[in-house]
Amino acid sequence: MNDTFWLLTWIIFLPTAGAAGVALIKKESVETMRAFALAITFATFLLSIYLTWGVFDPTDPGIQPRAPELVSKAAGGFSSQEIAKQYGQRGVSTTWIPGWNIEYRLGYDGISVPLVLLTGLISFLGMVASWSIQKEVKGYLILYLLLETGMMGVFLALDFFLFYVFWEVMLLPMYFLIGIWGGPRREYAAIKFFLYTLFGSILMLIALLMLYFGSTGSGDVLPTFNILKLSAIGQGLIPNLAYSPAVQLTAFILLFIGFAIKVPVWPFHTWLPDAHVEAPTPISMILAGVLLKMGGYGILRIAFPICPAGAQAACLVLVALGVISIIYGAFAALAQTDFKRMVAYSSVSHMGYVLLGIAVWKLTDTGAADGSRFWLQGINGAMFQMIGHGISSAGMFFMVGVIYDRVHHRDLNKFGGLIGLMPLYGGIAIGLFFAGLGLPGLCGFIGEVFVVLSSWNYSPVLAIVAASGVILTAGYILWAVQRVYLGPEYKGPHPEAITPLTEREAFVGLTLLVFAVILGVFPNLLFSKMEKSTEQFVSTMDAGYQASIKPATTTAAITNTK
Amino acid sequence: MDLSSYLLVGAVLFVAGVVCMATKRNGIGVLMGVELVLNGANINFVAFANYTRLGLDGQVISLFVIVLAAAEAAVALAIALSFYNNHLTIDVDQANQLQG
Amino acid sequence: MDPQTLQTTGLTLKWLLTIAWLLPLLGFVVELIGGGWVWGRYSKNAAYLSVMCIVTGFVCSFIALMTWGNATEWSALKDHGATHGTSHAEPSRHASGVDAHGAPKPAAEAAHGHDDHAKPVAKDAAHPAHDDHAKPAAAVHVAADHAHGTPHHAAPKVVFTGIFYRLAQFGSLDISLSYYIDSLTLVMFTMVTFIASCIHIFAIGYMSEELTDNYADHQVHTSHGHLHRPGRFHRFFSFLSLFCFSMLGLVLAGNIFQVFIFWELVGVCSYFLIGFYTERKSASNAANKAFIMNRVGDFGFLIGLMIVWTWFGNFQFGDLPAHGQTQPGLFSMVRGNDGQMKLHVPESGQAEVVFKNQDNHIQTKPNGEQRTIPYWLLVAAGLGVFGGCIGKSAQFPLQTWLPDAMEGPTPVSALVHSATMVAAGVYLVGRFYPMFTPEVLLVIAYIGAITLFLAATIAVVATDIKKVLAYSTISQLGYMMLGLGLGGWAAGLFHLITHAFFKSLMFLASGSVIYGCHHVQEMPQMGGLRRKMPLTAYTMLVGVIAIAGLAIPYVTLPGGEPIAFSGYHSKDAIVATALTYMNLNGHHLLFFLPLAGAGITAFYMFRLWFYTFAGEPRDKEVYERAHESPWVMVGPLVVLSFFAAFCAFGGEKGLLFKLLLDSEPASVPGGYVAQTEYLSQGLLNLKLPSHEAIHAKHDRAGTLALIMAFVGAGCAYLVYGVRWVNAAEIKQQFSGIHRFLVNKWGFDEFYDMLFVKPTHVVAGWCSAIDRVIFDGFLHASAKAAVKVSDWDRQFDETIVDGAVNTVGNWTFAIGRSLSVVQTGRMRNYVMFIAVGLLGIFALLIMFFPN
Repeated sequence: MNDTFWLLTWIIFLPTAGAAGVALIKKESVETMRAFALAITFATFLLSIYLTWGVFDPTDPGIQPRAPELVSKAAGGFSSQEIAKQYGQRGVSTTWIPGWNIEYRLGYDGISVPLVLLTGLISFLGMVASWSIQKEVKGYLILYLLLETGMMGVFLALDFFLFYVFWEVMLLPMYFLIGIWGGPRREYAAIKFFLYTLFGSILMLIALLMLYFGSTGSGDVLPTFNILKLSAIGQGLIPNLAYSPAVQLTAFILLFIGFAIKVPVWPFHTWLPDAHVEAPTPISMILAGVLLKMGGYGILRIAFPICPAGAQAACLVLVALGVISIIYGAFAALAQTDFKRMVAYSSVSHMGYVLLGIAVWKLTDTGAADGSRFWLQGINGAMFQMIGHGISSAGMFFMVGVIYDRVHHRDLNKFGGLIGLMPLYGGIAIGLFFAGLGLPGLCGFIGEVFVVLSSWNYSPVLAIVAASGVILTAGYILWAVQRVYLGPEYKGPHPEAITPLTEREAFVGLTLLVFAVILGVFPNLLFSKMEKSTEQFVSTMDAGYQASIKPATTTAAITNTK
Repeated sequence: MDLSSYLLVGAVLFVAGVVCMATKRNGIGVLMGVELVLNGANINFVAFANYTRLGLDGQVISLFVIVLAAAEAAVALAIALSFYNNHLTIDVDQANQLQG
Repeated sequence: MDPQTLQTTGLTLKWLLTIAWLLPLLGFVVELIGGGWVWGRYSKNAAYLSVMCIVTGFVCSFIALMTWGNATEWSALKDHGATHGTSHAEPSRHASGVDAHGAPKPAAEAAHGHDDHAKPVAKDAAHPAHDDHAKPAAAVHVAADHAHGTPHHAAPKVVFTGIFYRLAQFGSLDISLSYYIDSLTLVMFTMVTFIASCIHIFAIGYMSEELTDNYADHQVHTSHGHLHRPGRFHRFFSFLSLFCFSMLGLVLAGNIFQVFIFWELVGVCSYFLIGFYTERKSASNAANKAFIMNRVGDFGFLIGLMIVWTWFGNFQFGDLPAHGQTQPGLFSMVRGNDGQMKLHVPESGQAEVVFKNQDNHIQTKPNGEQRTIPYWLLVAAGLGVFGGCIGKSAQFPLQTWLPDAMEGPTPVSALVHSATMVAAGVYLVGRFYPMFTPEVLLVIAYIGAITLFLAATIAVVATDIKKVLAYSTISQLGYMMLGLGLGGWAAGLFHLITHAFFKSLMFLASGSVIYGCHHVQEMPQMGGLRRKMPLTAYTMLVGVIAIAGLAIPYVTLPGGEPIAFSGYHSKDAIVATALTYMNLNGHHLLFFLPLAGAGITAFYMFRLWFYTFAGEPRDKEVYERAHESPWVMVGPLVVLSFFAAFCAFGGEKGLLFKLLLDSEPASVPGGYVAQTEYLSQGLLNLKLPSHEAIHAKHDRAGTLALIMAFVGAGCAYLVYGVRWVNAAEIKQQFSGIHRFLVNKWGFDEFYDMLFVKPTHVVAGWCSAIDRVIFDGFLHASAKAAVKVSDWDRQFDETIVDGAVNTVGNWTFAIGRSLSVVQTGRMRNYVMFIAVGLLGIFALLIMFFPN
């Protein structure tokens, strides 16, 4: 119960408190409600900034905060194995359901902090963009804030059960946000989204229980949901306790499908275009900007560390799926005539890079010397891609929303000439679309290229296929830009409604563009936050894999001698 | 005289009573049959009281039965009277409201 | 040069070039923000700022060049001046250096002796290509400077390389923005900034029509007639600045990844500028085409990068301090400091290239094995990177974007076609040269040869004045690639520089024509314009003569210099290399195509000039309205024509060539001979010509090329100058060929059929798969679920509910039937009692007799 505990709790539950506050405001005073909700998201954003730069220590590879007895030693003073075994002393926790040994355990490291920051930012900007919502504003704001709680909770939870709860908490508001405030086919999209995700959750639940009940060797020790301890078990760091490779593989497949649906990975992606297209603009921003990242985060935080042997066995499939997602998403985007749908498919393509980067885990090295450097690069690239995509795709969806609010259609063939009519909008939009295209100097480039560069070491053939994505990406983005922004005149309905950007819209667009440029030019700002944690991740995974493929007795013997 | 003689009398009375109840259409006749049945039973009680270890209990019960029979006769007659008031007959075949 | 001086020089160069590089970026940002809102549409401030940035950049670059020269005491010039300009063993500089291995240095000198006609390289025994003990050339290593400039080799080649800032680091993998400064960088910087300055100034005049609130674009038709839009003067200049920034960044780049970054930026700038008239469908199509074609090339580039990254773990060109020691750069790893690859053939048979350190020692892994890369992968990496160059420099088969890129305003065309963009590809081939194996070079040469011929033939039939120039650019780029591919490193880059001058001149001149003729671009509507715009016409003529490579035969200046403009020298150098190469290796096409190309070049360039400026006007109206352009446009023409004429003065003994030569990779001067162990690996038996060999052929090749040029020019004069032969009749005669050429050999249709359409078809499939298969599956399973629940309901309703109801019904029926006995008659009841009683007794007696 220290300051960090309360800081993390506030980050998660401030939006909930805000939701309660919104509920108390009279239904008629819409502007007050909006302003209040905006203030709440902004305060959460500030807290996440404070967490990132004020509290988080990027030199410590492990989960933070550390228990007092670990603080005395310098941050980098532990080996990665030691850190992995400090599962009881890292993070902050309090008992929640003692009978089942469920804890309210929170913590952060270099992998989650950037995502928390991204969530804070996108939630704030999404709220700014929510002024376009006119229907049932009160309910909208309440659900929106609850959604933010769910997202923050997922990124900060260290107890698997708690993680699962937040995962589901996020699901419900989203269902209503799409289903009530969405477009014409909102019910269909909402149900599709809900069922898809729920299907994944169920698989995750099975794995959760499997791992939980396997996490105790004797009757007098309660099993645990502590992700760090589960990881330590999976990596063979606890004497006489291990998940067998078969268990790991099963659990990994279950977990992976659960997370892959969220990412989304081909062939689990078809909920995404519908959900993104039907969702209102701010919710599309959140969906693309944050929600998809929860899948990638889950793979990094849970699926890989707990099941190293399973992950290693499945890597080739993961890489192949990543590559297919890249190419397939790009092709599908090329074929769309709905502007928003095209952007949605671009998300499938871009998130393919994330999976690709995460999965290029090759135990031996082809070219240069030591083994895991390219995987480390892949992981970093994937993390960067998550953040970069969070910014560029949120921006792209916002840009689509801006024009949709005016002319109420999204048919790519019925636009044209917007850059002449709305120069500022056109400029920002082209900037953000080029960020999505992966132009150097903007955020999309670094992640994409680093991931692709790291992948040759894993599989040259798949790397070449993945690299060919650059052509297709250029194709669909440029083609869309041409049809929407260039050309002599606007060809669609409601030409009279095309008015210049409002200040509010310009604020959102410019903020995202500025972030895109900063990340694109100084990627080390982000890498420096997460490099220690990713290094820790890679080295413990390598060791964990070695430990968990050995026969159980040997594992025990080795860990006992330590 | 042994017990079986008494029992025979009782049985005859009883059967006579039952037959009377079953065959008579007049309500009063039926009542008379009931009395016969009750008295047949009384004889049995008294006989058993005398010949077995039932003792005084049998006689007491028969006294109860007599009292009961008197009360029953009073009520039954009242019913019969009432029935007659309503139906101008005491033919029990007419009193079939309990039919299922 | 002592280390102290080196360090100061390095720092100075770094900052000068950085300023020159970043100023245009600053200009871009200020113009973008200030342009629309602060200055207004009538202000030329954006142009002034932009010009100021680039001119300052030029000044900085020039000072940098001077600083470098002074620091090296102009050794680059002195050494070559003394001999025939062909010997590059640089004995004098060896003497000043310290030989790292203490090995004697006679071999090189003996081999490269100063006599003009060296023995054929094939027999040159002085090239022990595969062993460790280096030629002494370039064996000097100066202690690495940790802070900034790390001199690569103190002498003879001075390279300053260092890091600006780090992009990311993964273990020992390190990606940074860095710089690599040698004479090539400096020359390119000076050239780019100078030409860009001229173009900027020219554009002030050319784009002045945009200084309005109501610009009428007559090429765009909307539903309300011609398009009227606000002018975009400032936007043009801001993108021009960004373009310069990107190109300079590319040239300054110290690692191949950084090249890729700016490579893409150059691409996107060209996208913006080609598509500057966003309202024109043709312009946005051309912009898309340019970008996507370039991306196709970049796909190859990316593959090259992946191979390099995976096997070398390094992107740096030069050696850099890292982790407390000097980290050898790519060039050192492949070629050490003697310029030779070390080939290793393991038992398994696949040839490998062994990595070396900067001091020529072999790199080892922690387990003691040699670090190597399979030879074929190095070839693949080279081809991949060259793929990028194909895209950017519009080489066959990705050449089709460049003519379309004429949709941009003419100053952009000038910039794209001379100093930036297309130059980037050639520059990269030059920069990355040590990484290319002879096989890759052969591919480069063939691509160049095909391109130059193909483009030249199309240029002959083009009628749009800018299109002719565009095809001539492609053709000339082919020459450069050919030169580089044949081992004429300096020759190719020499042509790059000279071409930049005369091509920017010609483009600006054509811009002046277009401006003067009020946006008429078709040559058949011109003619006789030299009387209206003499300055434009004669400056253009300088460019035409330069590109055609004309010289005055048999007349030389004192010192044996031919009287000729720049193009003569540079093209001569390439043709000479080609001739030598052919003599060594066969591959006759590689000589005859450029030779024929020289003739065709002269023909179509003079055709252009005669068509436009000579004879009688073909379209009176256009002629009447034509006028000479203002001085702000003609001025740059004059300046550029001076440089187009004289920048290569002295040819291979001249200043420019020798400056370039100073950066020549160590492997080039001595040529290259395939060793037997290479051949046993099934590799090609290729020999690259040495400088001596080339020099031996120079005169012959020059003569041949000159003859061809005169033939071409003469034909053009006959057909278009004096109109002795009717061009229309020739066209009639060869209408098939003509149509074929006008169709640009059918590449556009071919690509459309082969790539674009299939891509859309596949895209449609993917989308359909989503709709039909995945969503179909989903909907089917949803339907199945509904069906199953329907069955469930049926089951509940019929079986479960049915059973319960049946039991109830039965009970009811039985009760109903039993009610018959309820007669309500007392007598019956008594009967039942009696009978029942009897029955019970009977049963009792029956079952319990006792």
